[in-house]
Amino acid sequence: MIALKNIFKWYNVGGNRNFILKDINLDIQQGEFISIMGPSGSGKSTLLNIIGMLDEASEGTYIFQDQEVFRLKEKQRSQLYKDYIGFVFQAYHLIDELTVYENIETPLIYKDMKSSERKAIVADILDRFGIVGKKDLFPNQLSGGQQQLVGIARALASKPKLILADEPTGNLNSKQGEEIMELFKQLNKEDGITIIQVTHSEKNAAYGSRIINLLDGRIDTNTTL
Amino acid sequence: MLKNYFQTAWRNIIKHKATSFINIFGLSVGMTAAVLIFLWAQNERNFDSQPDQKQIYRLTTRVPSIGWVWESTPLLLAEAIRTELPDVQKTARLNTNNLPVVSLKGNLFYGKDYAYVDDDWFSMFNYRFIAGSTTAFNANPFSIILTKSEARRFFADANPVGQSLHIDSVDYQVRGIVPDASPNSSFQYKAFLPISALLTNPKIRANDENWDNANYITFVKLAPGVNMERATRKINDVIKLKGKASDNVPVSMISLSDMHFETEIQNSVFNHGNKNTVLIISLIGGLLLLIACINYVNLSTAKAGLRAKEVSIRKITGASRSDLFTQFIGESFLTSLVAAVITLILVRFFLPLFNELTGKDFDFRYSLPILLQVSGVTLISSFILNSIYPALLLSSFSPINVFRGVTILKVKDNTFRKGLVIIQFIVSVILIAATLVIYKQMQFIQQKDLGYSKSQVVSFALPFTINRDRKNALLKTMKQELLAQSAVQSVTTSNQPLVNMGSACSGCADWAGRDTSLRPTIAQLSVDEDFQKTMDLKMQSGRWFNRNTSDKHNVVLNETALKTLSIREPAIGQQFVFKGDTGQIIGIAKDFTFKSMHDKIGPLVIFNNADWRSYFAVRISGNHTREALAAVETVWKKNLPEVPLEYSFLDEQFSELYTEDTRTSHLTLIFACIAIVISSLGVFSLVAFEVEHRTKEIGIRKILGAPIKGIVSMLSADFVKLVFISILVASPIAWWVMNKWIQNFVYRIPINWWMFAIAGVIAMLITLITISFQAIKAAMANPVKSLRTE
Repeated sequence: MIALKNIFKWYNVGGNRNFILKDINLDIQQGEFISIMGPSGSGKSTLLNIIGMLDEASEGTYIFQDQEVFRLKEKQRSQLYKDYIGFVFQAYHLIDELTVYENIETPLIYKDMKSSERKAIVADILDRFGIVGKKDLFPNQLSGGQQQLVGIARALASKPKLILADEPTGNLNSKQGEEIMELFKQLNKEDGITIIQVTHSEKNAAYGSRIINLLDGRIDTNTTL
Repeated sequence: MLKNYFQTAWRNIIKHKATSFINIFGLSVGMTAAVLIFLWAQNERNFDSQPDQKQIYRLTTRVPSIGWVWESTPLLLAEAIRTELPDVQKTARLNTNNLPVVSLKGNLFYGKDYAYVDDDWFSMFNYRFIAGSTTAFNANPFSIILTKSEARRFFADANPVGQSLHIDSVDYQVRGIVPDASPNSSFQYKAFLPISALLTNPKIRANDENWDNANYITFVKLAPGVNMERATRKINDVIKLKGKASDNVPVSMISLSDMHFETEIQNSVFNHGNKNTVLIISLIGGLLLLIACINYVNLSTAKAGLRAKEVSIRKITGASRSDLFTQFIGESFLTSLVAAVITLILVRFFLPLFNELTGKDFDFRYSLPILLQVSGVTLISSFILNSIYPALLLSSFSPINVFRGVTILKVKDNTFRKGLVIIQFIVSVILIAATLVIYKQMQFIQQKDLGYSKSQVVSFALPFTINRDRKNALLKTMKQELLAQSAVQSVTTSNQPLVNMGSACSGCADWAGRDTSLRPTIAQLSVDEDFQKTMDLKMQSGRWFNRNTSDKHNVVLNETALKTLSIREPAIGQQFVFKGDTGQIIGIAKDFTFKSMHDKIGPLVIFNNADWRSYFAVRISGNHTREALAAVETVWKKNLPEVPLEYSFLDEQFSELYTEDTRTSHLTLIFACIAIVISSLGVFSLVAFEVEHRTKEIGIRKILGAPIKGIVSMLSADFVKLVFISILVASPIAWWVMNKWIQNFVYRIPINWWMFAIAGVIAMLITLITISFQAIKAAMANPVKSLRTE
């Protein structure tokens, strides 16, 4: 599904190249659940952003679903991730002015879906996540775990093949964290959604099928569980 | 999608109540000012509009030898044109010189806005009849057509057609009702009487049928396609045929569409506009709208940081840049639309005040179609100004930067915002400086030594319809009777009130040593022996007229006359011939201001011929104003029971000379206030955002020991700099504009640098007060709190 070849990423700082990623080569198959680990500054989030097409590599090739991403035009690229990718963030990133229902509905709006279709999909997800009763609340009326649940629900609404999660449990207590990880595992197993998460926690990493350790911008270890 | 956008927009408005309020309120105030100004400007530019406006012309009489330009023509000209020239489809005449005396419930009053017109007046100017018609009006001389509101005044709600009104001791029958004059009509009359009624007076008829007397304003409607210049030539041929061939008094034509902005007529009966004024005021309207829009743009971009997260999330969930652009454009439109609705409410509320200011009579209901048009244009222009930049900026955010915490707003955007603030303050400072200059000039006018005393003098005139013998007798007896009253200090009679003397002649004087090529226009004032005392005029040399008749042919000159006419020294005792009367110069009066300060004091001859006089001026003793007025009324009623008394105070007449200037002064003050209020609102919320943005910095600085003063000045410094730049740019512009304006006055104040300095200080103070409100609050806040929330 994903193939990264010789990916480099650097910033120019005062004439020096400051490397974030160095020669990353990675293949990810459909249905995998991958945890990216590593100390702060090892390039985890950058790698995730490149995979999510929010950022571009300085050098290298990125093939997603047989398409060479860096050669695509802005429009095609956004069409690609609109169709295939869902994001989950550490800070949830819900739109504060919209209710739970409307937040989940937002990606569908940008897919130009009809109102009745959207209603059905959102209702379905609300039901599945058990948050029907919270649909008219605003994000600041929810607990962190509930907000992250909405964040995942929103990512799922557009039926993605790939979910990218950047420390999804970073702001949650351990019980809430466990629930979220269980949910990811279930999505991976039952729906066959590919998941790539960035995490600091060994315990959370263990939910996945493969752990990739980054160190100073290089892949240090690549362990299949 | 729309619903989603709308909801986000609406909830954003609600969430930031204070700034939204400032945003929408500021925009509404600017839009209201703009809408009212554009309403007025549109009205001025569409004066007397009617479908065949281009075919209708008014005739102008020119007397080139003495430079007179009149809008009046001889009575008989219209008929002659109609019979001689087939190119002229229609003619209509107007006479407003004769004021009918109307009686209502036993009270007599002059029909001030009553006009004498002829048969085709109503068809020429497309009057729509609410009731009745012109048929009976044209057939019977003693007819009257009323406007709706004048009819209501006389007959309340009863049907007026067929009723009669007592006018000039004759019964006039009401033949029809027409709507009130619209605000863009030159013909602001309340009632119309037939010219044939006027001509039933044999004296008037004899006078007006003389081809040398021009007392009627004549309008002609040319057949389509007729060349105006050719028609003018033909009309002049007709005049030569009918009038005295010796007098070269050509007639020209002006189109009805140009009449409102015509400038050359002396003593026009119509209210004229000024193209430059319309242009300047429209420009100010546009500027007020612009600075209101600047507020919106500045606030939206300042708020951009708060919207960045939303923008990023929307992008990540699949929104394209154009989706977001549409969203923010829509938001601007929503805000502008809300502001437009508030504007209409404000317009409705402020329209009476606006009418008072402009002297117009706009009715909200009647003007609604035009108002909606004007509001629509204002809405669209404000929408365009408001939407594009913020939408471009907001939709440009890259999500990755936002989530990384990279500062979203680049220096460039800050500079842009500062530039906009500078524009706002330039406009404000110019308007404040203008207000100050105008105020100083008005104060100068009020305080200038006029050379006479204008307070506590009431004046009135004998009607010019009474014959000379009776008038001269009345001048004597009424003066005696008034002097007998204890509330009256002194009484004098003259040919015109002192405040604004229009009467002048050219080539009517001769004196020893006159340069024969010199035919100066000399103002002429006929007075009695008490004039100097009553008006408190000062003599430079010689003496005033005596009570005895030996002074009947003598004259008093003013200082300017002495100088400009080059009278031989010693002036006193020199022979002076005035209007064929040979007498002596007996005195030189010090110059006094007998015209508005827009005009130069020219040479003046004061003479003593009673035949000319019909004006009374009564100086009231002490503060017995009420008793004096009662005395005037009693004396008038005893001697002239059949004529209404109309009096006015000299200082009122004086103020009337400056009605336009007072209006300008009020308008400028209001414009300045609006500009500074909107600009301050903008600064207020910009500072609020600045404070929000720098909470952490302020907290750290406080912990490091910064005093409150230091933090306040840190927050103010930027804005103070901006206002300072504005003052530097605005001052020369204001100087240039005001220097132009003040050239309208012959007697004027010098424009000083300190006027602009004060304007600058005012703008700076207002800004500082605005800023300190927020800055002190931020500086006083507990730093622990602000750091914790970070």
